[in-house]
Amino acid sequence: MHSVTAIVVAHDGARWLKETLAAVLRQTRPLDRVVGVDNGSRDGSGRILSEAFGQHNVLSLSRSTGFGEAVHEALGRLPAAQGTEWIWLLHDDCAPDAEALQALLWAADQDPKAAVLGPKLRDWLDRRVLLEIGVTVSRSGRRDTGLEPREYDQGQHDGVHDVLSVSTAGMLIRRDVWDQLSGLDTALPLFRDDLDLCWRARVAGHRVLSVSDAVAWHAEASARRRRRIATSDEHPRRLDRRNALFVIMANLPFWALLRSIVRNVTGSFVRTVLFLLAKQPANALDEMAALGSVLAHPGRLRRARKARRNGRKQGYPAVQRLLTPPGAAFRRLADMVQGFLAGAGPVDSAGRHHAAASDDSAEDDGDELLTDSGVVQRLFSSPGVVLCLALAAVTLVAERSLLTGGLLGGGALVPVTGGASDLWRLYVEDHHTAGLGSDAWAPPYVAVLAALSTVFLGKTWLAVSVLLLGCVPLAGFSAYAATKRMIPYVPARVWLAATYALLPVATGAVASGRLGTAIVFVLLPVYAALATRITAGSRRAAWGFGLLLTVGTAFVPLVYVLVAILGALAAVSFAGVRRGVTRSLAIGLGTPIVLLLPWLAGIVRDPGRILLESGLHDTSPADPRLAAQSLLMLSPGGPGLPPFWVTAGLVAVALAALLLRRHQMVVAVGWGVMLFGVLVATVVSRMTAGGGPAWPGVPMAFAATGLLVAAAHPAHRIAEFRAGGRLRRLGVLLIVVVAFATPLAAAGFWVARGAGGPLERGVPDPMPMLAALGSAHGEATLLLRPKDGRVSYTLLRGRAPLIGESDLASPADAGHGLGAAVAGLASGGGGTHTQTLASMGVAFVSVPGPVDPALRRSLDSDPALVRMSLSDSGGLWRMGGQVTVAPPPAVKGSTHRIWLWAQGALLVLMLVLASPGARTGEPEEDYADVPVEAAPRGRRRSKEDRVPA
Amino acid sequence: MRKIVENRFGLLALVLVAIGALYGVAFATRPAPVARAAATPLKAPVESVTTVCPSPSGTRVSVITPSGAQGPGAATLGAVAPPTGKNGKPAKPQAPLGVIQRPGRLWQREVPAGGGPLAVAATGSMAAGLEASQTAREKSGTQRGLAGVRCVEPGNDAWFVGPGPAAAEMTLYLTNADAAPADVTFMVYSGEGPVLSERGNGMILQPGESRVVNLRDLAPSPLVMALEVSTGSGRVAAAVKAVYGKGLGVDWIPAAAPPATRVVVPGIPGIAGPRELYVTAPGEQDTVVQVKAVLKDGSYALKNKETVEVPAGSTATFDLTTGVSGQAAALVLTADVPIVAGLKITGTGSSQDVAFTAGAPSIDLGSVVADGRSAKKQVSRLVLSAPFTAATVRVQLLPADGTPPAPVEVKLPAARTRELTLTPPPGGASFSVVVQPQPGSGPVYGGRVVDEPTPDGEMLTAQPLAVARIWALVPPTADSPGAVLP
Repeated sequence: MHSVTAIVVAHDGARWLKETLAAVLRQTRPLDRVVGVDNGSRDGSGRILSEAFGQHNVLSLSRSTGFGEAVHEALGRLPAAQGTEWIWLLHDDCAPDAEALQALLWAADQDPKAAVLGPKLRDWLDRRVLLEIGVTVSRSGRRDTGLEPREYDQGQHDGVHDVLSVSTAGMLIRRDVWDQLSGLDTALPLFRDDLDLCWRARVAGHRVLSVSDAVAWHAEASARRRRRIATSDEHPRRLDRRNALFVIMANLPFWALLRSIVRNVTGSFVRTVLFLLAKQPANALDEMAALGSVLAHPGRLRRARKARRNGRKQGYPAVQRLLTPPGAAFRRLADMVQGFLAGAGPVDSAGRHHAAASDDSAEDDGDELLTDSGVVQRLFSSPGVVLCLALAAVTLVAERSLLTGGLLGGGALVPVTGGASDLWRLYVEDHHTAGLGSDAWAPPYVAVLAALSTVFLGKTWLAVSVLLLGCVPLAGFSAYAATKRMIPYVPARVWLAATYALLPVATGAVASGRLGTAIVFVLLPVYAALATRITAGSRRAAWGFGLLLTVGTAFVPLVYVLVAILGALAAVSFAGVRRGVTRSLAIGLGTPIVLLLPWLAGIVRDPGRILLESGLHDTSPADPRLAAQSLLMLSPGGPGLPPFWVTAGLVAVALAALLLRRHQMVVAVGWGVMLFGVLVATVVSRMTAGGGPAWPGVPMAFAATGLLVAAAHPAHRIAEFRAGGRLRRLGVLLIVVVAFATPLAAAGFWVARGAGGPLERGVPDPMPMLAALGSAHGEATLLLRPKDGRVSYTLLRGRAPLIGESDLASPADAGHGLGAAVAGLASGGGGTHTQTLASMGVAFVSVPGPVDPALRRSLDSDPALVRMSLSDSGGLWRMGGQVTVAPPPAVKGSTHRIWLWAQGALLVLMLVLASPGARTGEPEEDYADVPVEAAPRGRRRSKEDRVPA
Repeated sequence: MRKIVENRFGLLALVLVAIGALYGVAFATRPAPVARAAATPLKAPVESVTTVCPSPSGTRVSVITPSGAQGPGAATLGAVAPPTGKNGKPAKPQAPLGVIQRPGRLWQREVPAGGGPLAVAATGSMAAGLEASQTAREKSGTQRGLAGVRCVEPGNDAWFVGPGPAAAEMTLYLTNADAAPADVTFMVYSGEGPVLSERGNGMILQPGESRVVNLRDLAPSPLVMALEVSTGSGRVAAAVKAVYGKGLGVDWIPAAAPPATRVVVPGIPGIAGPRELYVTAPGEQDTVVQVKAVLKDGSYALKNKETVEVPAGSTATFDLTTGVSGQAAALVLTADVPIVAGLKITGTGSSQDVAFTAGAPSIDLGSVVADGRSAKKQVSRLVLSAPFTAATVRVQLLPADGTPPAPVEVKLPAARTRELTLTPPPGGASFSVVVQPQPGSGPVYGGRVVDEPTPDGEMLTAQPLAVARIWALVPPTADSPGAVLP
């Protein structure tokens, strides 16, 4: 025989109370007693309670009373009833279904050990959304409902489940158990009091059940800050987190407690850092405050533990199997990374009361550049992916000779050896032993390459292969993704991306091994996309733009000049239009200067270097007298190019676009960029840099970008024309044929002649194996290579040179001495040249094959040199006498160290500023649980204020 | 302006004008094609030279450095000895046979019989053009005749073409004058093909070690042969002496130019007697060698002796007596595979003497002959050929005593050979010769022949002119990180 007493506690809940009370009174299993408790409401809740339950059934308490306290107070005044007495706890914002009580009691009848039962909680507003069917907790205090965010109730979780705890909203508890456990802990006025009670119930040997046949709708008004919390001044998130930690620590047995403390302290620190990175300082503060508040009051914790001492250890196994399994943390981490990639905030707040309020409507800038989904089907139905696959296939066929084999090198690319750690060392070391030794600071692109190599598991060759050989599909992808906002017409985007990716600049860069141009070529569409975001006022895009421009500038400094000129023009045009654009532009253009300061200063001192790019200069081929028609047709000269007329279709279509009256502005701007790019390309191609003609690849890529935008932007008109008359349809067909002729012809020529040029696979290792094995530390191998009657030489210190070492300047006087000694050695005239070389640490002289007979005779005739091997693949001579290796000079690298640290710190700061974190456009839906004090922007605060308190 | 912007074709026209302007700018600024200047090497004096006279005992050793180089310098003559003694201690330095410090003056010394090879090491001003040779003169016995040889620089590869051990007693002199051991390999190409010795075809010479190898031990049967002495590591000075026997002649075989598709065999004197050409094709392909003689009146193929067939890996002989005997000549051999060539010159008389010449490089940088003699009946001849284009050559005699006479300019028309009889100034019986092609000359080849008529037959010796070690060609160098790329 059951006797049920319902206790409804109200606190400023008039908004929901009426419905709640109506639902309580409408139960199919009538209640034996009803008690209302009003915790000092100011909105008339007390009156509503009195109207429903009668004046003498309502208890009025002070405003600072907590939920548990209120229930204690009410029960203290209730005499015990006959039979099995049950207490049904209800919040003012929790309306039970008419059959809820009946279902709960039925479940209680089925299981005599069941002492605490809870209904299935659904959302108040969207009544299909599941909130809770029992709650558990992880050892780190994370509340776990086992539900997806905003999961709809379709009966998928139905049944009576053994759970760790149920919410106090709708909790049905046997009164004797309540008395035995002394009820809710009044030290926890809000949040996790239910968890604590149920834990204790479980420890005492009772069962806690979630009964899905009983349904209640819950508004979670306190947790969602739909009303002010009067019991505490603290933020609910902090309160929740603190209580969670407190409950966990109070109820765990001793050894588990120690583990838990360690875990929670580390976990809190990690979360704090992540919150800071995500630009959510309020969350970080709350996290630390909650932990500090628990740890700073050991007395309180000790008292709580003392009160729970009975059977804690014995009952723990019953609780333990209901806790969140430890593996869930990893799953959550994976979810978080996935969410981050999808553009969500990087940290899923562990302190949130429920996980429903995630934003799924947000779509921020930059998303289109990120792969946001792993869904295979969606991938393959996207035209962009299909385009990239097609470009990748063309690339694979064209680069058939470059894909497998030995070292990749040639043109501007030194044979790629070494790994990420070598590159990092090259970047941070103060004194470079390479060649004759150098105290110059390594160029910054070394750091970029080192970072990329690290991403590619430390394999530099892999990073270089992907970036250089994969330049065409990567550029196609970036062009396709970057034009998402600029050109909505998908076929035009596909055409644009394909044409861009197969430009002569790209194939030329691959053939001549110009890694820098390849990287800038891939980045250029991203620059364009970010630039449009900047003009739209996005500050984050400005930081991202600045960082990517830094990367491009580090490889090809000319790109900065071009961007700066265009940016200045844009600033003049847009400064009046939008506020803040000038500042964003300053951020975008200032970031590279700040991050590359010393290196850029070196370039300013030697302006000729601005025309150079990363890699070897003397062997990178360029056309010294580039024809005028090649310049206009965006053909930069050098190896690996199709005939210059391949791009004629592109130019023709862009010219045709000039005839359209609509969109004239965009077309004109595109043509302006094109003409500017060609002008710069003309100037560049007429200059010499680094001992050879400069290569105008990057300005031509700029020009092509402008031309492509001019041609593709009005392309959606084609659909209109196609609907027109026969003549128009013919015209459209002609334009489409001409337009697609360019990428198709470029791909055809590329595949037909192959992608190789000076760049080739299987370049012999410049460091002969015998010499590498035989050199002691610091000993050098002199590499001689006669070419066109000239003997080129370089010093290798025990290994092949790394990318970037060719850009280190050597002391001039030592260089002259070496040059004279090499000349004397190559002449075969005898003398003391070998001794000079030996004093420079040269232990081996290597001549790659086929060995020039004159040079071989000269080396053979030197009595101080002993020939070790001679074959078609090369000759190697060993220094017969004493080889002295000069000890590395003691370099005071403190300036360098300071700069490296400063650069790293600046980089981290800028990465944080550029990365997607706290959203500028936080979704303003009804469930926004963004704290008021954490919202710096006025826009959001005004929205918050509209919510009735 | 507004009209232009509003007209449908206005923008197009503007862009076309801009494109035209850009084209004009690009066209006008296009640089003229520049022929890339070929890198020309500089000439620099040689700074150190080491030569080894293979067997100077009982011969006259001549050492000369032409004057011209400035600064101090010295040439030291000393025996080749291991740097360490038998018990591993450093050997006592032996007293040098002579130290020469004055360039431009011929140094001659009769070396007493006995003793091993002699190394001439020169540095500084004495190195630029140092030339040394040994010449023996025997009036009777198996060694009767004149036998002279250039003292050779240690090298990695040397070719000798001449008779085989079945025809004459062939002796190979090997010397390692360096501080590193030399790993020497022999390869013999006989008339029947390459000969692989059962006793191994290699040896290792320790520093300072010298060996005399009877070639009969390597390959007893060949009548003619080419011998390649190469080293896998280290360097060796090699020389080959052929002794035909009593009354049949003796001489050293000069090192031949390494295999090439065109070989010039210069220095054939205008002396009567048989001439026999040896041609070797060391590759793996049979070939037909075109033979052309460059004589004093022109260059032409000899009648009925236009070609020689040489099987792969073997040596062929070709009797040219009826073609070039009694005429100063040079031979130009061309083939489609690399060949090596040598020539035997036989004197007249009841007791014959032989001399050998061989394929030689052109003496673009000049040539020095250490030993010239003109005493009693001895005649020194200089045979110069310009087989391709005309050349002018300056010939300077440097006598052992007395003032040097004024140099003589010799004009060589294209495809002609000239023979000069070298007459020293009165009193100087011994002299050296410096041959210097003048600027603008084509390739010049030559040889020096010494002959001495005796009652029982003419004694003679010959040597092709070698490139003088006066100048080294210093190629332009460039410190280029790109050298790591092919």
